[in-house]
Amino acid sequence: MMDCKKLREVLDAYVDRELSADAATQAEAHIAECSACRRAVESLNRLREAVRTAAGKPEAPVELIECVRSSVSPRWHRAAVIQAIAATLVLAGILTLFVPSVRGAAATALDFLSLKLDDTRQVELEGKLICRDCQLEKQYGYHAMCPLTGHHGWLQTSDGRLWGILEGKASQELIHNSSLLGRRVKIQGRIFRKAGSIEVSGYQLL
Amino acid sequence: MPLSWITRSKRFEMEALPHLGALYRMARQLAGPDGAEDIVQETFLRAWKYFETFDSATNCRAWLFRILRNTWISRWRKSRLELPITETEADTIEPYYDWEDEILKDEYSAGMKRALLALPTDYRMAVLLADVEEFSYEEIARIMECPIGTVMSRLNRARRMLFRLIQAKREEGIAEKATPIPEQTTRRKI
Repeated sequence: MMDCKKLREVLDAYVDRELSADAATQAEAHIAECSACRRAVESLNRLREAVRTAAGKPEAPVELIECVRSSVSPRWHRAAVIQAIAATLVLAGILTLFVPSVRGAAATALDFLSLKLDDTRQVELEGKLICRDCQLEKQYGYHAMCPLTGHHGWLQTSDGRLWGILEGKASQELIHNSSLLGRRVKIQGRIFRKAGSIEVSGYQLL
Repeated sequence: MPLSWITRSKRFEMEALPHLGALYRMARQLAGPDGAEDIVQETFLRAWKYFETFDSATNCRAWLFRILRNTWISRWRKSRLELPITETEADTIEPYYDWEDEILKDEYSAGMKRALLALPTDYRMAVLLADVEEFSYEEIARIMECPIGTVMSRLNRARRMLFRLIQAKREEGIAEKATPIPEQTTRRKI
């Protein structure tokens, strides 16, 4: 059972609801019986209420709210603007690729880039021997003159690219022996990317 | 993982900005109406800067009040001439034996604004955090970076000081009323 002495010691914790449930129950029981302690609790509660009243509820000035908002969110605005611009540019880029001349320009630019990266060097290319004109007829409907002029062997690599085989001692069979067409072959030599051609120094039929 | 700008901003807007009013109220009690705006602005700038370190499972309002207090200490308190409170008996609580004294609600209200200003700021802050903002002792301890025992003793002393200040003012008033105004005996010369 709580007495006056104990209650007066824990009065703050009692009015602040910081007492344990058990201690609070004991305090309630004592307060119900003791008018002096009841007055003490009421008096302390009046003081707390007066503190609340004195602090009031001052409205923060609108300028302050705006100032805080703008000073904590410039990055937000900046990020949103940057993202919007980036999205617009990407979309615009995608849309312009539907225009053939733009696509041509883009392809030329990419070609330029690829030629800057890799023009000529010794390589070993693996691919399929095909007749250039027949392939173009098959792919694009070009009217091939092979029945009159004979086939012309080129190399098609796995990326779909057609490489012209330059005339030379080592390349005669590859270019002119039409029985080799359709065979897979590994060619050693030098590529000239600008000309889309390969100079053959040796090859193996696979 | 760092939050994206937009997510961070949205969270800040939802979790931190709603407490601006409460922070402004405390700032006014610490620095007056003129200094309050600067403290609040600085508090939110710091909060925004360190928002990624804030654990959203914890109490954002308490976190902001802690920043407010640190801002106040580092920027404003230095410029004020206030002696630090002595807390040699930090965790002692004085029992309220003298508390049956009937002070009426109106008497409390009349002198409270001035009485609050007369308190050392750590006492004032403790009593405002408890009575106005209704933080628990544990939260106040975290905001004020001190043990719970210190919170309890600050609250106890703050309330006693407020009580005595108001009691003194009330006694002054009673004394004034009790002293009759001397009758004017001299006659104006025409």
